[in-house]
Amino acid sequence: MEKDKKEKLKIGIYELTGCAGDALLILDCEKELIDIFKAADIQSFLMAKSDNIEGGLDIALVEGSVSTEKEKKELLDIRKRAKVVVAIGICACFGGIQAAFRNKKNWEKNFKEVYGDIQMTHTKPVQSKPIDAHIKVDYYLPGCPIDKEQFLSTFNRILRGNPPELYRFPVCVECKWNENDCLLNKGIPCLGPVTAAGCGSICINHNLPCVGCWGPVEGANLTSEFQLLREYGFDHDFIRKKMASFSGTGIADFLAKIEGEKR
Amino acid sequence: MKKISVEHLARVEGNGGISATIDGKVVTEVKFTIYEGPRLIERLTVGKTPEEDVNLVPRICAICTLSHKYAAIRAMENALSVKVSPKIHLFRELMHLGEMIESHSLHIYYLALPDYVGFPNAIAMASQFELEVKIALEMKEFGNHIMKKASGRYIHGENPVIGGFGKFLTKEELLWIKSRAVQFMPFVLKTVSLFCELDYPDCPEDNTIYACCNPPQNKYGFAGDEIILSTGETINKKDYLGLTNEFVVSHSYAKHSRYKGNPYSVGALARVNNLGKRLKGEAGKMYGKYFGPRWKRNPLFNNAAQALEILYTFERIPRLVDELLKYPEDPPVVKYKAKEGKGTGIVEAPRGLLIHSYEITEGLVSHTDIITPTAQNAEDIERYCYIAAQKLLENGEEDKIRDRMDLVVRAFDPCISCSAHMAEVKKALPDDWKEKLKEVKKKGTPIYVGVGKRTHSDDGLGIELALKLRNRGMSDVWLEYEIAQRGGPWKNKHHRPLVFLDAVDFREEPGKVVLLPLHHVFSNTNLSHKLLPFISAEMHYERLNNSYILGIQPECTKEGSKISKPVRLSMVKVLEQIKN
Repeated sequence: MEKDKKEKLKIGIYELTGCAGDALLILDCEKELIDIFKAADIQSFLMAKSDNIEGGLDIALVEGSVSTEKEKKELLDIRKRAKVVVAIGICACFGGIQAAFRNKKNWEKNFKEVYGDIQMTHTKPVQSKPIDAHIKVDYYLPGCPIDKEQFLSTFNRILRGNPPELYRFPVCVECKWNENDCLLNKGIPCLGPVTAAGCGSICINHNLPCVGCWGPVEGANLTSEFQLLREYGFDHDFIRKKMASFSGTGIADFLAKIEGEKR
Repeated sequence: MKKISVEHLARVEGNGGISATIDGKVVTEVKFTIYEGPRLIERLTVGKTPEEDVNLVPRICAICTLSHKYAAIRAMENALSVKVSPKIHLFRELMHLGEMIESHSLHIYYLALPDYVGFPNAIAMASQFELEVKIALEMKEFGNHIMKKASGRYIHGENPVIGGFGKFLTKEELLWIKSRAVQFMPFVLKTVSLFCELDYPDCPEDNTIYACCNPPQNKYGFAGDEIILSTGETINKKDYLGLTNEFVVSHSYAKHSRYKGNPYSVGALARVNNLGKRLKGEAGKMYGKYFGPRWKRNPLFNNAAQALEILYTFERIPRLVDELLKYPEDPPVVKYKAKEGKGTGIVEAPRGLLIHSYEITEGLVSHTDIITPTAQNAEDIERYCYIAAQKLLENGEEDKIRDRMDLVVRAFDPCISCSAHMAEVKKALPDDWKEKLKEVKKKGTPIYVGVGKRTHSDDGLGIELALKLRNRGMSDVWLEYEIAQRGGPWKNKHHRPLVFLDAVDFREEPGKVVLLPLHHVFSNTNLSHKLLPFISAEMHYERLNNSYILGIQPECTKEGSKISKPVRLSMVKVLEQIKN
């Protein structure tokens, strides 16, 4: 039994700033959860257990964006201790919704509007950024929150030393598999064409437009989506803000470009 | 000085900590800290459309995702005068009940129960409670199933929108939910007995104010347009600011709340206290059997209250499905034209009252205010931890403080991502009060008030200190009886700290000096002073939050004019420190 434990890979699951939805989704793998605990040696998982050990790790799964000095320090420490770091969820991958203020001055102004002039004594705030702004990330598993099936398959592959295989196409492909009517064709502002697949086109299955919560798909044609929505008569600012809602830093170059064009 | 801290509160949803600082026999400070970084959600929703806001705000918290969605939709519909049909109201209730089952069963079985049966986590607990763990998991899964079906996915489903739903469930799906709910009833009844009969420690216990939504038609439930308090008062949702009075604290990114200067609690225990008499059926019977005076004073009973609410929910679902089936037609999403408006929506998240309030200008959000349950509970979490720590310290059980604080925090079921990880016990450094006084001075020039009776030996130290300060030419120094005559010196000077100088019986060595926040004094019966009730009645919460007591342990307070030697020595040190 002891020997068995030594052979298992050491895993740590960490939460930085976010809604804790990705960690919660791992807990929501109800039936598979016990198997996960059997297959791997879960050294640290604050949401699930209190006897956590912070030592060397084979794999660290990190959720959330870096929003305080303390988190930055913790993240650097996790990187030092872990052989493989996986960013899970849109906040860790792209900064998430709290990375909406890309400009530092704008972030500072908004911080002041919420908290006033108070000097925080526990930990200094920093502008919210994805984890790869501070450390090297080995793998990314996007989603808001991550998808159960995709998490289990990714986790399985990494446990066996293989890189994860994520969908490299947009939500539209899954949407076609589900035989939905295209909402864009009806003039509804849907972000499916530029958003990474993996959710199973869940919103469109419910007759609702994709909000882009998985972040940009690899090679997303953002310009074309933008122009299409312009042709449908949507306002420049409206489209820009919609596209920026979840993707944060993931499409920063594109956003800077269209902001420049407007001027 | 010693500090006991649980820096990482394990088994709570999110990232926070609680710490208590101990100076000899006195707990001088308890802080509930939320390390979760600032997300500025209220700011980043500004400029978005109402629909986009409803996409974004559930991301505040994964576990209360649907409560956030529900509260935001209610607020937006209130602002934009959108009226929805009964089927939409019922379907929203169903999705919300799914979240209650999911959150409550996760909390009581997986996060709380291991503490009471002595295991570090639920997986380890499964060795002894295999059946309970297994069925509880199925129960939670059932809650998740309802959430997934009604909202589109487990977490952050987008199916509920302003004006209705993208899709409704079919009759077959609804009937499956009904039959499954009925199958769980025997286990649910056992759950209530299990959690109502747990041996909850009697420390901490103290009165508080409970606040929750007041569901219409004198029913139990999780949404309404009015807030009801255990004092009997009701507050219309649009006047919620009168309840919450949010203020920023420097040790947490979650704002704190006080009602008329008093901490209050929200959550399942608040609901059962305020609305329990409305429970019917098996839940009504169980309430009659188990509810008692300790439920009004002990936050640990929140676990029992959650179990009772699981029962309410399982009894409600079959009736709710029957009501839903009366409407075979699926109503389309209600369209609206309004581009301007102000509105507030309140619902009960599993862990308590959740408030969303918006202002819409030219079709876009121009103001957002969101008040989460954990932020409202923060003051009571600190207060109950203080009471527990102080009492355990007095009983010589210092080694239990850390675990007890952990237990108290967890009982509040804090969803720390909604604001805000864990417990720490710190030993104060020597002369802790000197450092604390420096911190107080950083907030502004203090106003000093001398308290006590000069005719009662050491009890005269406060008055004497104040007079000496005056003689040295300090302004804004007050004496107790002057306040009685002229009113408090705190009016219009809320930014300046108020420091009371007084003889305080800490049961310590004579001459011991302690500086602690005034609100801790109210929670500690040993320290309560004749003057304090009159101060508290007059004090605004902001004032209270910035008020301290600098106490010296007297040797003797019998009639006489002499001040003892150890006290006199301490007074010299205090004078020096104030002057510096």
